[in-house]
Amino acid sequence: MADGPLIVQSDKTLLLEVDHEQADACRKAIAPFAELERAPEHVHTYRITPLALWNARAAGHDAEQVIDALIGFSRYPVPHALLVDIAETMARYGRLRLEKHPLHGLVLTSTDRAVLEEVLRSKKVQPMLGERLGDDGVAVHPSERGNIKQLLLKLGWPAEDLAGYVDGEHHPITLAEDGWELRSYQREAAEAFWHGGSGVVVLPCGAGKTIVGAAAMAHARATTLILVTNTVSAHQWKQELLRRTSLTEDEIGEYTGSKKEIRPVTIATYQVMTTRRQGVYKHLELFDARDWGLIIYDEVHLLPAPIFRMTADLQARRRVGLTATLVREDGREGDVFSLIGPKRYDAPWKEMENQGWIAPADCVEVRVTLGDEERLAYAMAEAEERYRFCATTPSKTRVTEALVRRHPDEQVLIIGQYIDQLDELGEHLDAPVIKGETKVKERERLFQAFRDKEIRVLVVSKVANFSIDLPEASVAIQVSGTFGSRQEEAQRLGRVLRPKSGGGGARFYSVVSRDTVDQEFAAHRQRFLAEQGYAYQIIDADDVLAGD
Amino acid sequence: MSTDFAEWLRARSDEQLRELVALRPELITPVPAHVEGLAGRASSPSAIGRVLDRLDRFTFAVVETIAVLPSPIACAPLRDQVARALPEAPGAADTATTDTTAAATATPITAASVFEARFRETLDRLRTLALVYGPDEALAPAPGVREVLDAPAGLGPPAAEVFRHHHRERLAELIEDLGGTGDSREELAALLADRETLTRLLGEVSPQARAALDELAWGPAGGRVPNARREVRLAAAQSPIEQLLARALLGATGEESVVLPREVGLFLRGGRIHRDLSPVPPPLGGVERDRARVDLTAAGQAFAFTRAVEELCERWSADPPGVLRGGGLAVRDLKRVAALLDLPEWVAGLIVEVAHAAGLVAAGGAVDGEWLPTPGYDAWKVRTTEDRWVALATAWLTMDRVPGMIGERDERDRLRSALHPDLRHPAAPEVRVTTLNLLAAAAETATAETAAHEAQETRAARGRGARKTAGAIVPAGAAGARTTVPAPTPEAIRERLAWEQPRRRGAHRDRLMEFTLREAEQIGITGLGALSGHGRALLPAAPGGEGGSRTASAAELLAPLLPEPLDHVLLQADLTAVAPGPLTGELSRWLALAADVESTGGATVYRFCERSIRRALDAGQGADEMLAMLERHSTTPVPQPLGYLVADVARRHGRMRIGTASAYVRCDDPSVLDEVMADRRSAPLRLRRLAPTVIASKTSRATLVDSLRAMGYAPVAESLDGDVIITQLDVRRTEGPPQPRGPVTFTGPDADVIAAAVRAVRAGDAAHQARRRPVDAPAGQVPRSPASATITALREAIRQGSQVWIGYLDSQGNATSRILEPARMEGGYLTAYDETRAAVHRFALHRITGVSELQA
Repeated sequence: MADGPLIVQSDKTLLLEVDHEQADACRKAIAPFAELERAPEHVHTYRITPLALWNARAAGHDAEQVIDALIGFSRYPVPHALLVDIAETMARYGRLRLEKHPLHGLVLTSTDRAVLEEVLRSKKVQPMLGERLGDDGVAVHPSERGNIKQLLLKLGWPAEDLAGYVDGEHHPITLAEDGWELRSYQREAAEAFWHGGSGVVVLPCGAGKTIVGAAAMAHARATTLILVTNTVSAHQWKQELLRRTSLTEDEIGEYTGSKKEIRPVTIATYQVMTTRRQGVYKHLELFDARDWGLIIYDEVHLLPAPIFRMTADLQARRRVGLTATLVREDGREGDVFSLIGPKRYDAPWKEMENQGWIAPADCVEVRVTLGDEERLAYAMAEAEERYRFCATTPSKTRVTEALVRRHPDEQVLIIGQYIDQLDELGEHLDAPVIKGETKVKERERLFQAFRDKEIRVLVVSKVANFSIDLPEASVAIQVSGTFGSRQEEAQRLGRVLRPKSGGGGARFYSVVSRDTVDQEFAAHRQRFLAEQGYAYQIIDADDVLAGD
Repeated sequence: MSTDFAEWLRARSDEQLRELVALRPELITPVPAHVEGLAGRASSPSAIGRVLDRLDRFTFAVVETIAVLPSPIACAPLRDQVARALPEAPGAADTATTDTTAAATATPITAASVFEARFRETLDRLRTLALVYGPDEALAPAPGVREVLDAPAGLGPPAAEVFRHHHRERLAELIEDLGGTGDSREELAALLADRETLTRLLGEVSPQARAALDELAWGPAGGRVPNARREVRLAAAQSPIEQLLARALLGATGEESVVLPREVGLFLRGGRIHRDLSPVPPPLGGVERDRARVDLTAAGQAFAFTRAVEELCERWSADPPGVLRGGGLAVRDLKRVAALLDLPEWVAGLIVEVAHAAGLVAAGGAVDGEWLPTPGYDAWKVRTTEDRWVALATAWLTMDRVPGMIGERDERDRLRSALHPDLRHPAAPEVRVTTLNLLAAAAETATAETAAHEAQETRAARGRGARKTAGAIVPAGAAGARTTVPAPTPEAIRERLAWEQPRRRGAHRDRLMEFTLREAEQIGITGLGALSGHGRALLPAAPGGEGGSRTASAAELLAPLLPEPLDHVLLQADLTAVAPGPLTGELSRWLALAADVESTGGATVYRFCERSIRRALDAGQGADEMLAMLERHSTTPVPQPLGYLVADVARRHGRMRIGTASAYVRCDDPSVLDEVMADRRSAPLRLRRLAPTVIASKTSRATLVDSLRAMGYAPVAESLDGDVIITQLDVRRTEGPPQPRGPVTFTGPDADVIAAAVRAVRAGDAAHQARRRPVDAPAGQVPRSPASATITALREAIRQGSQVWIGYLDSQGNATSRILEPARMEGGYLTAYDETRAAVHRFALHRITGVSELQA
C-alpha cells in the first residue's frame, strides 16, 4: 500500500501529515482545490468545498488533476463516491458562460443545453434575461451581470465570466522600486490577478498585501478606487502608495468621514460607503464619480453586505480582493466568488515563514486566579457583567506589570477592551493610552513615537483592531478582549505579530482569569491560534510573579 | 391435454427427466403421481410462464417461432424461419457474389456457423425443458405454450380468432369486398393468408393507411380507435382506418380497439417473425479500468461503508429513533442519519437497511418502539473490518429489501419509509446477483475476446485461410493475469439483461438493476464501475470460486487492501489527536472515552475538551494515567496545552462530591456520634461519619432508626465508601436476539430429491400404465424395528429405489402391512408408492411400526 502523506476523510477534509517527506509536493498539488483550514504542528487540515473546486477550475485545473493528486498522495484508498462528487462538482463550472456578443451585448451561453434550460426555468433568473438567442444562448441585461452570477452560483451552475472589462480612465502608475523590490510572491500574485481579470489574492497577515495592490495598479495603469476597512487604514494605504509608487500626494484622494476627495486614486472606507441617510446610500455616486479602471477591496473577508450589492453593479470593472482568509463568519464566500472573482493566488504560507517574510510567534496564556472574595462577587454578578468583572480583575494589572518587566528591551503593546482598566494600566506603567476619544492626529503621533522607539509601552483599546501597522511591537499583552467573532479577534492578534527588523520572534501574552467565562473565550482563541500554527502554552500567573 | 406430449415425456430417459425436473423444480412440488400428471403440470400456464421467464432472447424467439408456425414443423424450415430474423441472414451470405475474397466472407460464414450451433443447442435445450417436443421432423410446442404466448413476437392473433365475433352477414360482406365468396371466418382467414390478395389490398389503401399498418407491423399489434366496430363497406370507406377495417386488414377486438391479424402482420414483416435477432448476447464491453485501482477504490469504499454502519449503530445506541406506527423509520430520522454521516439520503437509507438486514439493528425497547442495535452488533463490532464488511455485503446481496425506493410514494400515495415492512421486492436479490454476475461475466468475456483476438493474430501470422472458430478456449489463468477490468455502462447491462431475460424485462427490473449498480458502488463491491476482486468472491456462482470458502476468500482478498490498525496518534496543540488510520481496539475505545470524534474517514480526528476529559475522569481514569496513556501512544511529545488541560480539569474534578444516602444521623454533640461509631453493634449499619456532626447510612431510615433504638439511641446517611460513582454511557440494546429474515437462496432441489422424484413419477406411472392390481402383502407381521432403524432403512430404500415391506398403523389404529416404493421423506412423512393400494400415499413416520426388506 502507498504510504502517502495525505488522508482523505469522509467529510471531504484532507489531513496532511507535515512531517512526511512528500508533504511539500502534496501541499503544492492540493492547494489549488482545497482550502487550508487548520495548520497546527503535525497535521494540517484542508477542506474540499464546491467553491474551492470551482476556484481550481477557474485557475485552469481539471478534475483529472484533482483526482490524480488525491489518489497519488493518499495513504488509503479514496472513497469512490468522493471522487465522483469532485468530478461532478467541477464539471459544473463553466457549463454556463457570460460572454460579450457583438450584436446582443451580454449573453449567457452554454455548451450543455439541458443546463441552460434548467437555469432558464428558475423564476428568479427569468427577469434578468432578455431574448433567447438560438438554442444555446440568451441575452442578459447588462445591469444584471453581477446578480445573475450570484444566482447561478446559488443554483449550483457557476458561470464563467468572459465578458471582459472596460479599460477605465487611463492614469499612469508605476512602482517606484528604489531601495526595495517586489517580493517574488507579490509579483506572482499581481500577475495572476491581472491574467485572471478579476479575483481574490489570499496572503497571510504581514505578507504585504498593500504592495500587491500597488502592483495591481501598476498593471492596470488606470484610475483606481480602493475600499478599506477604516480611516487609519486609509491613511496607511496612502502612505504606502506614496512610498511604493510614482503617485504623488495630489493624485491620491481620501474619501472618509472627514474628507471627501475624489482623485485619480481614491481611498474610501467601507463605513462611509455604507452610511445611509433616510434609507439611501448617500455616497453611492462615488462609484460613478470616475470611470474607474480598477477597484481594490482590502480585507475581503470583512466586506459588508451592502458593498456586495454595490459590487454587483460594477462587474464590468476589474476588481481585486485582498485577504488573509477566504473563510467568512457569515458564510458569504459564495458572494466573494461570484462578485469579486475566484481565488487567483494563494501564498504558500509555510514557505513564506521559512523565508522570513512573516514572523513566527509564541503565544502564552497566563492564568490568573481570582481571590476568594472576587470569586464570590463573580458568582453573584449579573450575567452581562460577568465578563467585564473577570476580565478587569486587579490581579491582572499586577501580572501585566510583571510581564512588561520581563521584557525590558522590547516594544510592548497592551491591548484591552475596558477603558477603566486601560487607564489604570497606563497609570501604573506610565504609558500613554490610545482609546476611542483620542484624536486621529494624536493617535498617529503616538504610533509614530512608538515606531521610533520613543515610547516603549503603549496601551491601546480596540481602535487598534484593524490595519494599523506597528512593526516594532514584539510583545503584545492582551488583558481583555472582545468576545465576539473569534475570527475577528484572532485576526487582530495576528496583526501585531509582524516581522521584526531584528528578525526575532514575537510574543503574545493573554492574561486570563481562571475558571471564568474569560477562560472560555481564551479556549476559543487558543484553538484558533494553534490551528494557525502558532506555538501555544499556558502558564500560571504565580509562575510569572515568582520569576519576577 | 395432449397425450402425444405425455407419451413423448414417458419416452424420455430417466436421465432426461431428472434434467427436466432439476431445471424446473416446480414440476415436482409436490411430486406428481405419474407421467401424465407430470405432463399436466408441465403444461400449466404458471409452470410455462416460469420457465419462459428464464429463457434468453434467442431461445425465446425460437419458442415464439414454433408457436407462430403451424405444428408440427420439421427442423429445417424452422431453422430457415429463425435464420431470416438474423440481422445478416446466412442465406444472404450464400448468394453473395463469389468474387469477394475469402477474408471478406469469413465473417458471415463464421456467423452462420455460430448460428447453426446455437440453433441446435437451443432446440435441445427446449426439449430438455419440455417446452418443445417431438422428433426433429415434427416439432411442436408443448401444450399450453401457445396459450401463454398471447402475442408471440408482438404479432396479433390469427384472423380466424380476430373475426370470431363477427356475425355471418358482416363476414360475407368482408369476404365479398376482398373479392372472395363465403361467409365463414375460415374463408376470410384463407383470403388473408394469400400473398397475392394481400399485395393487392395493400396496394389499394392510402399512404396514411399504409403508414398506420407499418406502425403496427412490428408490434404491439393492437391499437385504439374510436368506434372500432363500425361496419364499413369498401365503397363507403373514407378515413385510413375505415379503409383498413373494410378490407379486414384490421379487425375490431373491442369498442375502441383494433388489432392487426397475424397473417397480415407476417406479410408486412416480409415473412420474418423477428428482426435483428442475435444468437449471441450483445457485448458488455466498457471502459477498461486498472484492476488494482478498481480493487483499491472499492476497498476504500468498503472501509467507509463499514465505518458508516458502525457510526450509525453507535449513534442509535445512545439516541435511538422511534419506530413509526406502521413500522419503519421517520423521514426526519433518516435525514438526521444523512446529516450525521454527511451522506446523501439514499445512501443513508441503504446503510440503515443493510444494518437491519445484517441483524445489527432491530426494533426494540419499550413495546418495540425504538430502533436499537442488537446484541449481534456487539459481536459484529469486535470482528475485523473485512469480516464486518463481508457480513454487510452478504446481507445486502441476499436481502429482499429495496432501499432505493425510500422516499418514493407507493400505489396508495403513502411515502415509503426506510425499514418499513413493505419496502421489499421479491426479485431484488435475484436481480442483484444477476447484475453482478453480468459484471463478472463481462470481465470473463473481455478476457475471452482478448485471448481470441490474440489467437487470431497468431493464426493470421501463420497463414491466411484458417477459420476463426467461435468460443476460443481461454487459458484458465487469463482472467487473473489481466491488469484491467471493464466497467460496463448501465445501458450495456440493461441491454444484456434484456437479451438474457426478455420476458422479465420491465421498468421495475431496470430500476432494481440501477439500484444494484449504485448500491454496489457505495458498499464497495464494485469500484469505478467494475467488479472488484473481493466483490466477485462474494457472488454465489462466482466462476472459479470454491464452494463454502467463498465468503472467507472475499475477506481474504479485502484484508490486504484495508488500512492496518495503528497503536499511535498525533497530538497537537489545538487539542486534537489525529489517528492516521484505524486504531487498535484498546486505544480506540480509550480515545472514544477521553475525546470527541470530529471527523472520520481513512483517519480519525479526535478533539479533547473539558467535557471529554471529565467524561474519562468520571469513568475512573486518573489524570496521571491519562497523561501516561497519551505519552505512550503519541509519537511526538504531548503538547503543553493538552497536558495543562488534563491537569486543570482533574484539579477541579471531584472537588465537590455527591453521594446517595437513604438516611442520615445528625447530632449537635459530636461525642454522641463518636460513641455510635465506636459501638460494634453499629457495624452492620455501615455508617459513615461525614462531618463531626453528621453520619450517613445506606440502610433505610426505618432500619437505621430501629437499629439505633436497639442500641439505645434515638435515630439517621452519603456514599459509605466515599467512592465516586462510576457513570457510564447509557448504551441500550434490544432484549432478544435479532430475527433477520433468512437469506433467500436460489439453489434448486438437490440431486437426491430430483432422482427420487423422477423415480416416484416413474413408479407411479408404471402403476398407472399397467393399471395393475394391488399386490397382496405377505402374510405375517412385519418385525418391529426401532424408529432410527426404520428411518435408516427407508432412506436407504429411497436411495436405491427399492421396495420395502412395512408395518403401518392406519388412522383407525389397525395394524396393516404394505409394500411400498419409498420416494421422499420429509417433515415426518414418507411419500411412497403403495403397491398394495396401487397409488402414491403419504405415511406418517411415527405410525410405521417396522420395516423389512422384501424377499424377492
